[in-house]
Amino acid sequence: MKSLRIVCVLALLTWAAGAAAEDKLYTVVDGYKVDDKTLEGFRTWRALACDRCHGANQQGLVGPSLLESMKRLTREDFRLAVLEGRLEKGMPAFSSSDRMVKHIDDLYAYLKGRSDGAITRAKVEPIR
Amino acid sequence: MKFPWRYLFAGVACALGGSGTALANADLERHIANASNWAMQAGDMYNQRYSKLNQINAGNVGKMQVAWTFSTGVLRGHEGSPLVIGDMMYIHSPFPNKVFAMDLNQQKIVWKYEPRQDPAVIPQMCCDTVNRGVAYAEGKIFLQQADSNLVALDAKTGKVLWSVTNGDPSLGAVNTNAPHVFKDKVITGISGGEWGVRGFVAAYNINDGSLAWKAYSTGPDDEMLIDPNKTTAWKDGRVQPVGRNSSLDTWQGDQWKIGGGTTWGWYSYDKALNLMYYGTGNPSTWNPAQRPGDNKWSMTIFARDVDTGMAKWVYQMTPFDEWDFDGVNEMILADIDVKGKKTKALVHFDRNGFAYTMDRTNGALLVAEKYDPKVNWATHVDMRSGRPQVVSRYSTAQNGPDVNTKGICPAALGTKDQQPAAFNPSNSLFYVPTNHVCMDYEPFEVEYVAGQPYVGATLSMYPAPGSHGGMGNFIAWDAGTGKIVQSKAEKFSVWSGVLTTAGGIACYGTLEGFLKCVDAGDINKELFKFKTPSGIIGNVFTYMHRGKQYIGVYSGIGGWAGIGLAAGLEKDSDGLGAVGGYKELSQYTDLGGSLTVFALP
Repeated sequence: MKSLRIVCVLALLTWAAGAAAEDKLYTVVDGYKVDDKTLEGFRTWRALACDRCHGANQQGLVGPSLLESMKRLTREDFRLAVLEGRLEKGMPAFSSSDRMVKHIDDLYAYLKGRSDGAITRAKVEPIR
Repeated sequence: MKFPWRYLFAGVACALGGSGTALANADLERHIANASNWAMQAGDMYNQRYSKLNQINAGNVGKMQVAWTFSTGVLRGHEGSPLVIGDMMYIHSPFPNKVFAMDLNQQKIVWKYEPRQDPAVIPQMCCDTVNRGVAYAEGKIFLQQADSNLVALDAKTGKVLWSVTNGDPSLGAVNTNAPHVFKDKVITGISGGEWGVRGFVAAYNINDGSLAWKAYSTGPDDEMLIDPNKTTAWKDGRVQPVGRNSSLDTWQGDQWKIGGGTTWGWYSYDKALNLMYYGTGNPSTWNPAQRPGDNKWSMTIFARDVDTGMAKWVYQMTPFDEWDFDGVNEMILADIDVKGKKTKALVHFDRNGFAYTMDRTNGALLVAEKYDPKVNWATHVDMRSGRPQVVSRYSTAQNGPDVNTKGICPAALGTKDQQPAAFNPSNSLFYVPTNHVCMDYEPFEVEYVAGQPYVGATLSMYPAPGSHGGMGNFIAWDAGTGKIVQSKAEKFSVWSGVLTTAGGIACYGTLEGFLKCVDAGDINKELFKFKTPSGIIGNVFTYMHRGKQYIGVYSGIGGWAGIGLAAGLEKDSDGLGAVGGYKELSQYTDLGGSLTVFALP
């Protein structure tokens, strides 16, 4: 029994490591040091002034809390909402911004990291 | 450190004077002269917000009761006030910018105008979808819509007489300001300093909406309607011609084209001098590193000839802004003693925390003093150069991009924002609604993309540390000496325009939703207090109908100070301890636009 348990744990660990390597959206150390792509996501967030409506900590202001809504939005939902906007709700379309188009997946990663609770503060820094 | 809340925000403007023969607009002037009316947003062309009515006075205001109320059916921030002309009241709303004409005899809506505006305009407005009210002249109501269309309506029927497009909302050029009628022109400005909009004022002929003149805040002399030899500025302790390229020489490259200097405040007019006065807003972006130079003529008081638009004089309050201290706040014209000398003064409570008293005939700087003792970003204004003396540790430019400069007072909201002050001719004091808020400011590099926010700083605002813990003060100010005469602490920013009357009272609203009237002789004596349906960011006004005086105000929380209330600050999961401050507003009020009108029983 004991050996079976070890095998199972090992198998689980291997599976988890494999999944993480494939799907790893972001890397974060100490809650605020992030990989370059996630950092670009933060810079895009800041440059396009998303905090104007969603709050500097993504907590929501006139726009919804992204800490909450990122738990529900798929990557495709997110792309659609950001690039095409939701005008009836006051969300502008960002498809005219080259920066947004280029870094939308980075922004997705950053916001997921915030929503997951892995990135513990809004302002992030590079891993050095 | 007591920062019970934290609100980070990025992206985020009479006496009939003069003895001249020029007509200010005979019809409008006649309506202003009759104190029963409230014919302009400020009650008059001097921006004094003073009424000669005295039926409601310091002795009886405590007995005031609600006479009637009216819902606009619109949520979000309600700034400005209605107008009253005879038996008619004209009520406006934020986006979608409804106008109701109400017959006061029957309290019946005679007509209602609701423009169709593209909802895409909403996200192009930086600080809530406010509108600061309509203007009236010669049987027309002028509405400056959010989508930049300036519309003239028949005051009897609401029918559109003409409409002109004043800006391009897809580029962030939207409107929040009230239009102002001076002489035969209706004058309007533009918003969008957070989108890189190049500011201007434009004068349209009231009869057909044709453009009379348009004057930019920045750029080549001819486009600013500046005459290098005749337009003057304060330099070396005297008034001197500005000289050639006074704006272009203070910008790097073409930055002035996207350099802001927008014009969304309250304008005033002196008929005898034929000059209108207004202020220009912040230079774009909020990251000073991207726009070295004085960035003229952002942050500037302009005096312009109403017929030609030519600038008579300019004065820049905050050269090379590093804090978003827009210069748009109202210019109040009053004839007062300044340092013992009778002066045709212009008094301006700037966002930067200094109150300026100028000679309005020529732009000479007379007084510049702090109107909140906590102001710390500059030690003083040098009276020879007119320049504030910046304190290095509060300089976001000297500290540089990606550095968080902490403890700057005032915050970007300013010691006062657009919420207008009032003048009381009986004691020559100014009654000023103020913010008592400080900030941390971190600028960062941004790229300009047409039609996208162009901000470039992250801000965190909190009540002034080491003070009474509140975020506002209501003060009485002596503009002749530059001193606070009295100060009354308020829990929240006082974001409502003040009314003074011959009845010896001063009235203002609070963000919690109270209408308060105080003794003009002792502002700490609260004579009347009533909780309206929502927080107040509108301006208090008064009128008389069928022999009875009324005092009214819009409630409807919103605007820059109240925008945080609209959603989720309580969902702040960052453990920033967002408990007090504006967040605490949600314990007092919620959205909802309405008008509350008071009278004696």
